[in-house]
Amino acid sequence: MARENVRTFSRLDFNFLGTAIVIAAVGCLLIYSATYFTDPSLDIFRKQLLWLAIGFALLTVCLFVDYHVYFDVAPFLYGFGIVMLLYLMVFGRLTANVRSWIHFGAFQFQPSEFMKIFTALMLAKFFDNYDRAYLTPKLFIRAMLIIGIPVGLIIIQPDFGTAATFFPLVAVALFFGGIRWKIWVAAILLVLVAGGLGYGMLKPYQKDRIITFMNPDRDPLGKGYQVTQAKIAIGSGGIHGKGFRQGTQAKLDFLPAHHTDFIFATLGEEWGFIGVVIVLGLYLFLIMQALNFAKKARDRGGAFLAICLIAFFVFHILINVSMQIGVLPTTGIPLPLISYGGSSTMMFMMAIGLMLNVDMRRLGD
Amino acid sequence: MRVYRDDQKFLTFRINALLWAIVIVFVFLAGSFWVVQGAQAEKYRNLSEANALREIVTPAKRGLILDRSGQKILADNQPAYALTLDRVIMRPIVKNDPAHREKVVAFLAQVLGTPAPDIEARFEKGKAIPNARPIPIAEDLTMPQVASIQAQAVAFPELNVEPVQRRNYPYATMAAHIMGFIGEANDKDLAAHKDLKSGDLLGKRGVEMMYDEYLSGRDGSQYWEYDSHGRRLAEYRPARKEPVAGDNVYLTIDFDLQRRAEQYFIENEFVGAAVALDPRDGEVLAMVSSPAFNPNVYSRRFTPDVWRTIASNPFKVELNRAIQGLYSPGSVFKAVMAMAGLSEGAIDPSTSFFCSGSGVFFGRRFRCYNKNGHGDVSVAHALKVSCDIFFFNVGARLGVDRIAEYAHKLTFGELSKIDLDGEKSGIVPSTQWAAVKQHRKWYPSETISVAIGQGPLIVTPLQVANMMAAIANGGTVYRPHVVKMIEKVNPDGRVERYQVASEVLHKVTLAPKALETVKLGLWKVVNEEGGTGGNARIEGLNVSGKTGTVQVIAQHGWVKTEGLPYKYKDHAWFASYAPKDNPQMVVIVFVEHGGHGGVDAAPLAKLLYESRFREQVLNARLDLSNPDTLEAIKEGKAPIPGQTKKAPAAPAGSNPNLGH
Repeated sequence: MARENVRTFSRLDFNFLGTAIVIAAVGCLLIYSATYFTDPSLDIFRKQLLWLAIGFALLTVCLFVDYHVYFDVAPFLYGFGIVMLLYLMVFGRLTANVRSWIHFGAFQFQPSEFMKIFTALMLAKFFDNYDRAYLTPKLFIRAMLIIGIPVGLIIIQPDFGTAATFFPLVAVALFFGGIRWKIWVAAILLVLVAGGLGYGMLKPYQKDRIITFMNPDRDPLGKGYQVTQAKIAIGSGGIHGKGFRQGTQAKLDFLPAHHTDFIFATLGEEWGFIGVVIVLGLYLFLIMQALNFAKKARDRGGAFLAICLIAFFVFHILINVSMQIGVLPTTGIPLPLISYGGSSTMMFMMAIGLMLNVDMRRLGD
Repeated sequence: MRVYRDDQKFLTFRINALLWAIVIVFVFLAGSFWVVQGAQAEKYRNLSEANALREIVTPAKRGLILDRSGQKILADNQPAYALTLDRVIMRPIVKNDPAHREKVVAFLAQVLGTPAPDIEARFEKGKAIPNARPIPIAEDLTMPQVASIQAQAVAFPELNVEPVQRRNYPYATMAAHIMGFIGEANDKDLAAHKDLKSGDLLGKRGVEMMYDEYLSGRDGSQYWEYDSHGRRLAEYRPARKEPVAGDNVYLTIDFDLQRRAEQYFIENEFVGAAVALDPRDGEVLAMVSSPAFNPNVYSRRFTPDVWRTIASNPFKVELNRAIQGLYSPGSVFKAVMAMAGLSEGAIDPSTSFFCSGSGVFFGRRFRCYNKNGHGDVSVAHALKVSCDIFFFNVGARLGVDRIAEYAHKLTFGELSKIDLDGEKSGIVPSTQWAAVKQHRKWYPSETISVAIGQGPLIVTPLQVANMMAAIANGGTVYRPHVVKMIEKVNPDGRVERYQVASEVLHKVTLAPKALETVKLGLWKVVNEEGGTGGNARIEGLNVSGKTGTVQVIAQHGWVKTEGLPYKYKDHAWFASYAPKDNPQMVVIVFVEHGGHGGVDAAPLAKLLYESRFREQVLNARLDLSNPDTLEAIKEGKAPIPGQTKKAPAAPAGSNPNLGH
């Protein structure tokens, strides 16, 4: 067993881990540059370093224990996550109109972020057990329920942005789980109907965002202002960028949320098109490696775990980067490993650890 | 451990497909950035050099608050000058000249006449506001202040004098507790309303708060291009949003009644409350809480001193005594007792008890306020002279739980759901209340105190008004409201008006016989010689009512309240409605430490009825069937009714029953 372990750890993929660390380092530099002017005490920057340190510890935990053990305890983790979300419904304090934070003294965290990992584990375990090429309608409904329960609880908070980030799991279940065309048609119809109903249920500020996106001139709440400012920041960066700490848009608070959701605009302003391409390249490299892990995984469960987790990355990256230049509407979705934020940083570090875990315990060589 | 089977190929194919899809999307995104950063870079660089667009908020005009007729404006907006400081402009100046910040503070301290630490505190508070928005420093600048600030515009370019609209209450303290006031949004407000920004003003109390969503309107904004020196260049017109003015709110308050009632309290230096209700729909015609505050003082931004003064006021001016003051109802509660006793069959209209001045109940001796006793009394007479012994007997027969049942039916112990904030529900004791809230047994002798409205029973003046309204209208409990109508003026000048509908909370089934007997008793209180409410008698109008005098401290033996120091003096109540057969107004008067209900509270009710039913009273007094009167009117010599013949108000003290 000891030799087995040595062999397992010798297969730790340093390319993948290294890519993640480089991306996180870029994030730290950007947070420093975006906040040193408005926050001279560097509190935000230091906190992000702390989140990364905690995240790295969690990554190590996720790495060492065989992922099959995580499959075994997945129902407990999943249940624990549901309990936390229920707790929020009852005791959650309203932060910016949304009940998605649990407060522990001075610290606060978002259970929904951790729920993403637990749900991914649960779904992967599900596919580990049912290994047919196509899902029967009954099994399909079960898979949807695994995702649907936490999504429902998060929608109640009400936090549509975060609930939407569970969508990649649905896509994975549909695309990789294998669905016959009849179910595809039914599912698409269901999504259309639910979408129509969902729009009716949206809060006015969320509707405004959608309307603003489709027709910026209407802009009833000035939300287009954010995108305009982001575009000015990115566009003025040009090819080479203005240089580290030289950006003005973010520094002077013209650009709201410049160290969280709109940090990519800071990148565009200070590091220019070159910086944008480099960061997108780093992300693409990370995604390619993760998909490679899925191909080589020991079993179906491992493959699905890697796919589910990387799907979160892909979804967050695409949505966040697209909204910077107005390709998609503004949502509160962070950029993986770069945006400031405790819960999301920890969540993505854990995901990196689990993906490495799957790769280390592959068969062969 | 499961190993791949034949679906290995299937998975690999799909993973590859996903990878290529991702690559394509990434290339598309990189292309989009190329467009923005390559092709359009010049345009954005220029915008950025201009340090970009900044949002200038154009505040919406707050809606007016008017009285029920719309003739009197109780809250409006006045043009004023406010001072703001723009940190985006200040920052580069401070970088070149570190002493600049101190200079600004010193200059402001000198011009505004406020100590420098207060200005620093203002700066500190402004940190919560986004940098791109100027922070408010002062409002209500005088013209000399405006002039001296503008004279220094070159030295302090970060200071702006802006024309603003300031909330103004022309009648100062009038109806202050109903109107409430506005103030700066605090952290709680900011958390609750997504659209609010730090520094925004919103309603904090009363109608200003409860109807804030109508009154506030929606701020507009302009987007201006600024250069890097902070100079305004040009407006980016397409993004401009015009402000939408707030809706006007019409109160149900009758200006005349409200003013008369307030003057009564001010002239007599009374502390207390008065409520006038329309028993037919729950509209509040007047609501006084005395002493009142001046909302003009409350609605300014920067007055820490004022807050300290207010907090130290011994009379709690902020308290709306009409809905938040909790008091024993005293003898006013006897109306409920009579209703409960008659409806439950504990007594009938002819049941009589003998009052010798005191009686023994559950082993304890209880006194009637009249030590000589009232002799044989039936229910209507007991109400008229407010005999305690009679109601001790009724209480003993009913027991506390049946009393509590009727008290609840007649709105005691419940929120009236009035459209004002901070309403209190009071306490209606019962055996269950004693067990749950006090963890003790209820003693039957306590029931005797409750029977005359004392003991743990506490109520608000508004609840007493609701009770009286329910008796007056035959058992319907309306939701009282102070807003009559909301008037929306659209930008195109179209006016939409929305009436506030009257809402029935519940209906109490009152036996017609019981209702009739209680109403007769209440009429006798005011209109028969020897009744306790004679001071409210109006010739030509049938006023019905009940007086109450509440002992503030337990007294042994019979003590005259006049001789006691202020804080031990009795509370005075008068609860009434008129006219008897078609009640149109309920008036409740409560005077803290006033003395006697009949002496101190009843005269205000009379004033209000005279004002409201002026024509009716005059017509009734003019005996038009008498040809002499008609002749006199023609000659212009007709006596002015009510002035020639004074209502026979018995002087205080001469009538032993007055005040109970």
